[in-house]
Amino acid sequence: MIKLSNIEKIYKGSNGLVPALNGVSLEIRQGEVFGIIGQSGAGKSTLIRCINMLERPTKGSVLVDNQDLTTLSESKLRAARKKIGMIFQHFNLLSSRTVFDNVAFPLELAGCSKAEIAKEVNHLLELVGLADKKDNYPAQLSGGQKQRVGIARALANHPKVLLCDEATSALDPQTTKSILKLLKDINQKLKLTIVLITHEMHVIKEICDRVAVIENGLIIEQGNVIEIFTKPQAATTREFISSIINHDLPEILAETKFSPTPLPDSNLVLRLSFFGHSAEEPVISSMIRRFNVDASILYGNIDHIQSTPFGTLIVELSGTQTNIQNALNYLQTRELGIEVIGYVARNARAAG
Amino acid sequence: MSQEMLVLLVNAFWETTYMVAISTIISIVLGVPLGVILVTTDKGHILENLSLNRVLGSIVNAARSTPFIILMVAIIPVTRLIVGTSIGTDAAIVPLSIAAIPFVGRIVEAALKEVDFGLVEAAQAMGASPREIITKVLIPEAMPSIVLGLTLTIISLIGYSAMAGAIGGGGLGDLAIRYGYQRFRADIMLATVVILIAQVQIVQSGGDYLARRLNKR
Repeated sequence: MIKLSNIEKIYKGSNGLVPALNGVSLEIRQGEVFGIIGQSGAGKSTLIRCINMLERPTKGSVLVDNQDLTTLSESKLRAARKKIGMIFQHFNLLSSRTVFDNVAFPLELAGCSKAEIAKEVNHLLELVGLADKKDNYPAQLSGGQKQRVGIARALANHPKVLLCDEATSALDPQTTKSILKLLKDINQKLKLTIVLITHEMHVIKEICDRVAVIENGLIIEQGNVIEIFTKPQAATTREFISSIINHDLPEILAETKFSPTPLPDSNLVLRLSFFGHSAEEPVISSMIRRFNVDASILYGNIDHIQSTPFGTLIVELSGTQTNIQNALNYLQTRELGIEVIGYVARNARAAG
Repeated sequence: MSQEMLVLLVNAFWETTYMVAISTIISIVLGVPLGVILVTTDKGHILENLSLNRVLGSIVNAARSTPFIILMVAIIPVTRLIVGTSIGTDAAIVPLSIAAIPFVGRIVEAALKEVDFGLVEAAQAMGASPREIITKVLIPEAMPSIVLGLTLTIISLIGYSAMAGAIGGGGLGDLAIRYGYQRFRADIMLATVVILIAQVQIVQSGGDYLARRLNKR
């Protein structure tokens, strides 16, 4: 649906050239919710603005629905933009227009008749749950309601793509949740491709199918949300995920000295991550029974990424060295993420 | 106060109102587009054109820094060319308009700059043309400030129109100088001042009311 090839964007600042994007290539499929996450200044805002040419890339091509937007004339570009909806962090509603007239705005631009506009706007307000607010002005609405108006307005011309520029960053957690749910509903109901940028990992976790991590104007990692959550590669990705799932060692282990190789009389500390149906398998209890080891759980966390269960456990195995090795081998045959944190002398930790 | 004096006052009142009204209309017709151009040709805006922006900006500054009384005398040849005479109420409209156009231009510029650029971006993202952005986003959103600015313009024009009286422009200012000052008619002086104050009050209250009505923020 969207294909960005080698996008570069360089701004002319007062102190010379400032690169914002250094060759970004991305492919976004029809009907998916694609998230782009990055810290402020990473280039994510520039990137999403390149998709509808609010920022013209210095280099590279932007294909939306097989049309290269970088080569279009002004008027053709305006026509193409009508098929790309966009919502904003600060909503950008017209304060002088009522809710109804705000949603009607893109339809006016498209030259629809009054009757068509009325029909479409009422339908859209119904869809976003604001039918009773149509004669209110934006100043009379809450943040969440304003964003709903923004969504209705973005959908008015039946776009193929919806771009969300930090759409929930100005909202409280509860409202964020309801807006994300609305976006997911729209994505499923209308088969609409959604691209969103955010600096909040929970937004990605809540609704995205795939995610790209951007840093210093480059995509450093991308893939399925579940993959990225369970096996983050880049340090930045880990940092983002740690805001939701703790990948750092728990406090009580911070002082402990680990050895990478078995020591005589030592316990093994492992980090196990479960996802999908492996989270539902009783792996630990069958390991304990089969290999005669003891397992104590030092840290645990179980969550859902959309409807897929996902969890992390840090366990300490104790038993004879052979049994521990066998247990480790067994675990490695299961569908689990395993990370050996290290061996630790028995009694080295009081809590053991 | 004699019947005669009353007629003089009423006539002067209408002359002032006429001068101010016509020059307000002319200054809106030319000043609003000027303000729009000053904003939209600025750096990073929808019709960026820095050389045009700078040229217009300097012309506006030059016109704004000339004291009205000097402007009025300096452009007498132009006034003669347009109206055929440099004396009278119609003639006064020319310098009044020329002084007010750049004033309105700056006021509209300031009002449009207050509009969040995010709204322009949103309209662009919806496929709006520069013309649509100007007429459907910038001007409606800035309307309350524009109305307040125009109120200020009208009040300045009432003041300027009194000065125009000094070179035979007619109106209340003319009356106040010829009768109130030169013939020591304190009652005429007082009456013109009271009428001017009332005019300014009415314009200001009307403008405030309209701006409040338009402001949905």
